[in-house]
Amino acid sequence: MAHPLADERTSFIRFALAHKFVTLFGILMPLAVFAVFVGYPIVFTIYLSFFDWNGMAPHKTFVGLRNYRYLVSDRYFYTALFNNVKWVGVTLFFPVLLGLVIAYGLRSKIIPAPALIRTVIFFPVTMSLISVGLMFLLILNPLFGAFDTILQSIGLGSLVMEWFGDYRIALYTLAVVSGWAFTGMPMILYFAGLGDVPKETFDAAKIEGAGHFRMLTQVAVPQLRPVTAVVVMLTLFESLRAFDLVAVMTKGAPFGSTNVLGYLVYLESFWNSRFGYGATLSVAILVISILMATFVMTKLMKGAFDV
Amino acid sequence: MSDAAFLMRQRSLFAFAGKLIGLTLLAGLVFIWLGPIILVVITSIKSNDAFLAGPFALPTEPTFAPYVTVWNALGFGRLLANSLLYAAAGSALAVILALVPSFALSRFDIPGKKLVFGIILTGLMLPQQTVLIPLYDTLRTLNLLDTRIGLIVVHAAYGMPAQILILRGFMTTIPREIEKAAFLEGATDFQVFWKVILPLSVPGIMVGFTLNFIAIWKEFVFGLVLLNSEANFPVTVGMLKLNSDRYMAVFNLPAAGLVMSQIPIVILFLLSYRKLSSGNFAGAVKG
Repeated sequence: MAHPLADERTSFIRFALAHKFVTLFGILMPLAVFAVFVGYPIVFTIYLSFFDWNGMAPHKTFVGLRNYRYLVSDRYFYTALFNNVKWVGVTLFFPVLLGLVIAYGLRSKIIPAPALIRTVIFFPVTMSLISVGLMFLLILNPLFGAFDTILQSIGLGSLVMEWFGDYRIALYTLAVVSGWAFTGMPMILYFAGLGDVPKETFDAAKIEGAGHFRMLTQVAVPQLRPVTAVVVMLTLFESLRAFDLVAVMTKGAPFGSTNVLGYLVYLESFWNSRFGYGATLSVAILVISILMATFVMTKLMKGAFDV
Repeated sequence: MSDAAFLMRQRSLFAFAGKLIGLTLLAGLVFIWLGPIILVVITSIKSNDAFLAGPFALPTEPTFAPYVTVWNALGFGRLLANSLLYAAAGSALAVILALVPSFALSRFDIPGKKLVFGIILTGLMLPQQTVLIPLYDTLRTLNLLDTRIGLIVVHAAYGMPAQILILRGFMTTIPREIEKAAFLEGATDFQVFWKVILPLSVPGIMVGFTLNFIAIWKEFVFGLVLLNSEANFPVTVGMLKLNSDRYMAVFNLPAAGLVMSQIPIVILFLLSYRKLSSGNFAGAVKG
């Protein structure tokens, strides 16, 4: 009996011989790009995580697991890790949930002028986070910022805080700002998804006397599961990339309380010249992303990427 | 009779309340998402003294001085030109790289197709920070560190997976009858790709290119790490200078800079808004 893999291999060769153009430029070329820009860098990062290297010197010193031992006792690592987790939490709650509610409000015609709303909320998605950061440095400025002024003018002056200076809230400030810029994404995806739900489904629920809350939670949400899978995936990976806002708004301050993993890699490698330890942190991010990707692919995206 | 009138009035009262709630929500959303942008535009055409005197007042003497200052001090023309080059060349290259793979993955029963697709998509999910050090090292070895070409190649390689996702999704929607006829007449794979699939894929290519263009325009990390000289900086990296301190002493300059950095995207946004905001590219994932 032929080995199934052997069988597949011969048939791939047979396919390759029959379709040279497709095989060469359609399969081998993208795999080569992957190998050079993704595969090799990952292998190199793992390799480097066992070394001490200042990024310049021709030789790298092998240190075994020392970087990893340092990692598990590095409190900056834990702060950054939990900051990433908090960031994901805020993002799932604020832009994703809000995007869903707005999309539902537009589809059910509770909120008028859908074209205007979609344009206005989607626009920040096209802005760089550097621009968004500069914008909110202006708005949240303690002396001349609009936000504090508005709070004071509506009698909520007691809520005014040091949005960036207070180590307990600075990270949430960043996450909410990033949420402001991101809301348009889940909103248009949900808006498109709701458009695909058959109108009869909603009509039937309406006849049964469902209010908007039940309509949203019991009719729309189950129907939107595939869209939610895409949105959650986008959210998880966007949050793991959180870097730009930190770089422009706080640079990890105060006291490293707004560091995220990505920014820590950058600091350790390119500022502290500890490329070996930077690589170790990268491996940590990699492991987390693989765990997340596995979760997303097996639980949420089942079948979404079927070819 | 009076019951009916009462019901009618009650219904119109409900409708009125509903409208009022709707309008309030509309105003609130517009205020939250448009307010900051309007404030920045207003700030950008004020002198700093005028800003300090009344941060939210409409400008009494609008001035373009902040724009001139930022343009000259940061070499904004060069920053914009760089970003334009990176976004246009990087996206074009990403789309070109993605064309045949999308054709292959949407049209052929290739053994191991799922695996190939899965591998390609890994690049989409990989956080950039995990590959910064190797990319830095590789580009230095190739003498491409701190060069425009180096950054364009990296952008193209990392744009390719998303383009394959979008274009493959688009190409699967093209009916197979046309190409079947072509194959029956003895056309080669290349001829079918070039003469049938490619022309029909233009709308998908436009969407993919636009999304990739915006993504590169927004991109910051690669530019920050892989470039050293200001002459090569894209807008995002160059603008970092506008924030010298967390509590900026000058507000009109960052405002002017960020308005300028956004203008090309606004133009692109206006041109392609309908296609993008419809969320149709979500269909790429559902395939």
